[in-house]
Amino acid sequence: MSGAHEAVRGITPTVASALEPLFTFLASALTILETVFNKLPGSAVIQRYVKSSHQNDPGRTILELILVVFAIRTLLQSRTRANGKNFIKFTDKEVDELVDEWVPEPLGQPLAPNEQADLAAVPIVAGPNGPRPKLTATGKTALNLSSLNFTGLAGNEYIKQRAVETLRKYGLGSCGPPGFYGTLDVHIDLEKDIADFLGAEASILYSQAFSCVSSVIPAFCKRGDVIVADRGVNFAIQKGIQISRSTVRWYDHNDLKSLEEVLNQVEKDRKKRRGPVTRRFIITEGIFERDGAMVDLPKLIELKYKYKYRLMLDESYSFGSVGRTGRGLTEVYNVPATKVDMILGSCAVGLASAGGFCAGSQVVVDHQRINGPSFVFSAAMPALLAVSASEGINIFRSTPSIFETLQENVRAARAILDKVDCVNVPSHPASPIIHINLKSQGPVSASLHPSSAVLSPSKHGKDNSKKEWDADAEERILQEVVDECLAQGVMVTRAKRLKNMELNEPRPSIKLALTAALTRKETEKAVTVVKAALLKVLGKRR
Amino acid sequence: MAVPKPQSSSMFGKKRSTTSVAMASAASYLSALSQADARARGSNNPTSGSPTSTPALSISSSITSSSEDTVLREEDEEEDNSHGLSLPTRPPTSEQVFNTVHTEFGHCAQEAYRMTSQHTPGEEVPGHVEQDPPYYILLSTYVSYLILIVLGHIRDFVGKRFNAKAYYHLIPRHGYAPLNSDFDSFYTRRLKTRMDECFNQPVTGVAGRTIMLLDRMSPDYNHSQILTGTRTRALNISSYNYLGFAQARGGCADAVEESIKRYGVSTCGPRLEGGSSDLHTIGEGLVAKFVGMEDALISSMGFATNSTYLPALVSKGCLVISDELNHASIRFGVRLSGAHVRLFEHNNMNALETLLREVISQGQPKTHRPWKKILVVVEGLYSMEGTLVNLPRIIELKKRYKFYLYVDEAHSIGAMGPRGRGVADYFGIDPRGNIDVLMGTFTKSFGAAGGYIAGNKVLIDRLRVYGHSGPYAEAMTPPVLMQVIASMASIMGVANPVAQQPQNAPLLSLTSSSATSVSSDGYVHPGPAPLSSLPNWLILPEELSSGQQGNERLRRLAFNSRYLHNGLIKLGFITYGHPASPIVPLLLFNPGKMNMFHRLMKDRQTPIVTVVVAYPATPLVTSRVRFCVSAAHTKEDIDTILRACDEVGDVLDLKHGIPKRERWSLEEISDRAVEVAALLK
Repeated sequence: MSGAHEAVRGITPTVASALEPLFTFLASALTILETVFNKLPGSAVIQRYVKSSHQNDPGRTILELILVVFAIRTLLQSRTRANGKNFIKFTDKEVDELVDEWVPEPLGQPLAPNEQADLAAVPIVAGPNGPRPKLTATGKTALNLSSLNFTGLAGNEYIKQRAVETLRKYGLGSCGPPGFYGTLDVHIDLEKDIADFLGAEASILYSQAFSCVSSVIPAFCKRGDVIVADRGVNFAIQKGIQISRSTVRWYDHNDLKSLEEVLNQVEKDRKKRRGPVTRRFIITEGIFERDGAMVDLPKLIELKYKYKYRLMLDESYSFGSVGRTGRGLTEVYNVPATKVDMILGSCAVGLASAGGFCAGSQVVVDHQRINGPSFVFSAAMPALLAVSASEGINIFRSTPSIFETLQENVRAARAILDKVDCVNVPSHPASPIIHINLKSQGPVSASLHPSSAVLSPSKHGKDNSKKEWDADAEERILQEVVDECLAQGVMVTRAKRLKNMELNEPRPSIKLALTAALTRKETEKAVTVVKAALLKVLGKRR
Repeated sequence: MAVPKPQSSSMFGKKRSTTSVAMASAASYLSALSQADARARGSNNPTSGSPTSTPALSISSSITSSSEDTVLREEDEEEDNSHGLSLPTRPPTSEQVFNTVHTEFGHCAQEAYRMTSQHTPGEEVPGHVEQDPPYYILLSTYVSYLILIVLGHIRDFVGKRFNAKAYYHLIPRHGYAPLNSDFDSFYTRRLKTRMDECFNQPVTGVAGRTIMLLDRMSPDYNHSQILTGTRTRALNISSYNYLGFAQARGGCADAVEESIKRYGVSTCGPRLEGGSSDLHTIGEGLVAKFVGMEDALISSMGFATNSTYLPALVSKGCLVISDELNHASIRFGVRLSGAHVRLFEHNNMNALETLLREVISQGQPKTHRPWKKILVVVEGLYSMEGTLVNLPRIIELKKRYKFYLYVDEAHSIGAMGPRGRGVADYFGIDPRGNIDVLMGTFTKSFGAAGGYIAGNKVLIDRLRVYGHSGPYAEAMTPPVLMQVIASMASIMGVANPVAQQPQNAPLLSLTSSSATSVSSDGYVHPGPAPLSSLPNWLILPEELSSGQQGNERLRRLAFNSRYLHNGLIKLGFITYGHPASPIVPLLLFNPGKMNMFHRLMKDRQTPIVTVVVAYPATPLVTSRVRFCVSAAHTKEDIDTILRACDEVGDVLDLKHGIPKRERWSLEEISDRAVEVAALLK
């Protein structure tokens, strides 16, 4: 350093003298840097390493440097490497040509004529919906066996009055997600009402029942967790499972023996792999949306404890419809609600309001307040709907007789339907949702399509391979029955499904939703019309 | 309208000294009213009363409504005006009639404080500009997180061994894995719990211009919150209430009440299974007209609109190109669809074009087959940044690259555009033919709930059948529908009824909403709603049906947004987003400042509630507070907020925007408000 200094001075003394302070500064800065470097912990190691690698040979240092540069380059590159293998390099002109050539499919294909007809045939109610709505298509009233109004809360004058009062205090919308000033006192009240009513520790309110179910599942089930679910769960659960990315094992629809086998198998697999304990869930429904079957809750709980699973029970159709006071399956089987880890329910179905809920322990509920996607990222439910739901629960508590009326109607309806030969009713005798399937005419397809199992498009083809019905044809027949009923003044509906999107497609059915708002006589009259329509349409076919 | 309640007790409590008549009873109030009326009529000189000199008493005009109702609230809320929120700072003059409750929708008669939300042709649309703070702020932010992470993990490690009880729910026990892994819940436990007082604040009443907080406290470091039973009224700059339709009184609420009486609370079931009502058909027809599309469908939840209809648009073999900051509901829906997803840098059109060229030329991964279709999903207005999508450029790209365009207008519908019809309106673009799918929600601008999807009729009919919501999810309830219809009609205005009204109700079939009716009922986009597109029993008050009030809301919102945004910039803060956006994020950076900011704003003489957001909702360093401006705010409210920010900003060292010499003083900003609002960023 000082040698260079001298040399500089020798050449141009004037410039050098001008630069003198700079050089002294540089020299002192260097010494300071050196002492600081020496003071750093581990600096001796680096020094030693550099010295030993250098060994008075600049070539070695250069080699080291090249290695370092190479390492950094590889690190930076690795991200693009993944898709690089398949990447084809095009010139701009080629890209332009490819862009010109590309023709996308239309965003939405027009509906097929029969789908169009189905859509047009969906009944629209003019004015209030209830047991005897007026339809826009006919301009006449009809007996309603299709809208979900089990306990007849729709149109309840007291609820309407409370809703108006709430409107005048809270306005309509909540104008924010629950996290950010969307939590109203009426939401807290309803959460408490639901928890108390069910006998759970706490509950959480979502603003839509469908999104509640498909949001609760991914809130708990993460990648690597195990879900054992019924093959016949509703669409919302299917979507929740899909988005959770957990490992899913399916058991046969409403077959707890099959469930136990699957649970055994999962446990064996885990032991074989010596994997850590992961979260494990059994997911099923109380009353199945697809066929009205009811799950055997005590047995389910026994299995859950035996195999150490958590139970998610979707009570969308059983809450507010079965049990002495409408508390759902836990009441039917007299099981404490605390034994079910998560009870999912719908305020839209059972309470004729809107929204869904999940009841469980405080930990379960608090977890969802941060992790439930459709809770966190969605506006809270309008206040008047929350109050309407709370009032619905109050009515359940004060007048349990509505459930007796409902059950009486269910029995009356089943008494008529069970006698019809040409149809099959898979629903539980107490279920207010009654599905009507057509009966198969012998084992036609099994022999005709021996290869159907191979051709089956579904991944979980077990059910589909056994499929012995022609869904399209049956849908047409059932739609004819529906139209016939409507002409006779009874509003019923086919169970509407998303074609090719369900995990395994249930057999087409007519879905009756009974209500306590109709008298037994009216129910009988309406169901007799359905029966007559069935006989008429099916008789014509044979 | 509520019946006038002659109550005088708290009428202009503070201002009473300025009036000569002491109003001890209802009778004296009424007599004072009539005197004021007499004066107003007698003088017959509308200019006589300058806004400041007119006695507060003359607020009532002879024309209509119960003006005392507009400042008084329910009897059980006897509160003083020490927070300055209950009464207008500037008493109204006799010719100014306010029929809104001041705490819900602020009284502001100053015509100068109005603007039009409109794109100036030729002006460049700003992309997402991230302004960096000084290095010491960045450094201290990183150090804060470092300390948080290191200490947090050490505490977890030690705590699990020595204080197992506190970690009970995080440790496997009895053969059950914990519901929540300690790693996943790290930020929840270590960061969010510390600032829990900023979240999930329970409130009551209308989330309008002001909001009533239910006070709470935590005895155990935020593990539990206890309601103390007291309430605080606070200025609300946090709710999504852009047009101020969160109101418990007024024409919309009256219409909703009528709808509850006529329709009840629920339509009992999914749309395709017996839950369809004629109100749905009417609502869908009106929404289609409002946004300028052929047809529309309505879904009962905003989140579900994206998450259940996106899967019906795209499937395996399709590509979704999504802005990296798109809302969770879009990601949820896209994930369910099974389509391939690529992200592009937030609102960066060049990045989008580069990506488009790449994906179209490369085709599907591995197979290199051409994509079936490419759907570009963007938001009109981004909820955390306030950036406005560069729609003109995207539409140019769309013409070249033939992708389909899905615009999520959750925040922009109602809030942007001279007629409130969203971003397309703002840019003066006809959505038909340029945008394929318009999605939006009713929560934000319309004071309702739920969402819609609009597009051409073929597409919407397909979505009705193939969207998940149609067969499985509950339909929208009548009161919510009515709020949508009434608020939307009041923004659009109702076309003057032609000599005789059509006697028949609008076409009623699930499929028929507008393909035919657009031409037949004479609707021209973006014009007023034809009378036939509303329920025939609906009677909207004159100020709503004329569209005059709706127009005022739009113009007030536009002014307030620009004023707050530019005011904050002039004060020296760093903000993000488009100046016309009602979402104004103010950058805090340091995580520790979030709690402080929130608390300092809330504990002021005039409490202000704010929303603070941090990682993981935002990038690690850019913690921010997000203001949501409303048409319900008055210019004075924005002043209040600016003053609060100014003071708190000094305390917390937040002013890192423009250099000191370019900043304006608070007084200057307030005095030259109109000028400030008109500033270009």
